[in-house]
Amino acid sequence: MSAVAEVTRLAALGTGLAAVVAGALALVVTRRPLPALAVLLDLLLAAGLLRLAGDPDWQGIVTAAAIVALRHLIGVGLRAGGRAWTGPRPPAASAQEKSAL
Amino acid sequence: MEELLAEVVNVLVVIVEACGAAVIIIGAVWAFARFAWVGFRQRTTAAFVPVRLTLGRFLALGLEFQLASDVLRTAVAPSWEELGQLAAVAAIRTALNYFLSKEIAEERRQVAAEQDHHEVTSTDHRGSGV
Repeated sequence: MSAVAEVTRLAALGTGLAAVVAGALALVVTRRPLPALAVLLDLLLAAGLLRLAGDPDWQGIVTAAAIVALRHLIGVGLRAGGRAWTGPRPPAASAQEKSAL
Repeated sequence: MEELLAEVVNVLVVIVEACGAAVIIIGAVWAFARFAWVGFRQRTTAAFVPVRLTLGRFLALGLEFQLASDVLRTAVAPSWEELGQLAAVAAIRTALNYFLSKEIAEERRQVAAEQDHHEVTSTDHRGSGV
């Protein structure tokens, strides 16, 4: 294993650990899981990219691709969920509420 | 001559790849420090967004370096096995670079929209106070 690959492997491990710590900190501070998950996934992505540096074997490539795909999938899901919670309310729902009042 | 070219390209690949890794490592360390600072000092969800945006920019820059090293590697790829691995890694990095730039643009749009919303709200409050 080359020196660059060894350094990036260690850096990927450290970044993964930092991701867990930063995600936990964000969860404790904000008390909201979505921003904490976003922080965790961003740093995990950095770890995945570092894992791809050097000379990765097929297993390393598949693992990094799975991390990247999973992160993207969760990110899309989070944004869709966030829009559903914070987006404008449909006019039918607000009219229904007014008539109920 | 061909061996010399292969040797030069291999050295360049290591240098460019190390630059990309260094950018990503620096970005991750900086972002972790900022996350800790924001977490302990500001304690708001909105304060995490600029840090995530900057980390995204670091990752995109690191990816550009790594893609450059992939392009260099295509100059000397002796076996189909190595070519296949190179294609897979380059495909992952290219897709990631595309999605990352889209995410950064989306987050910047959201931050700008929130700032506009705050400015309009504060102007309304000032107007009603007069």
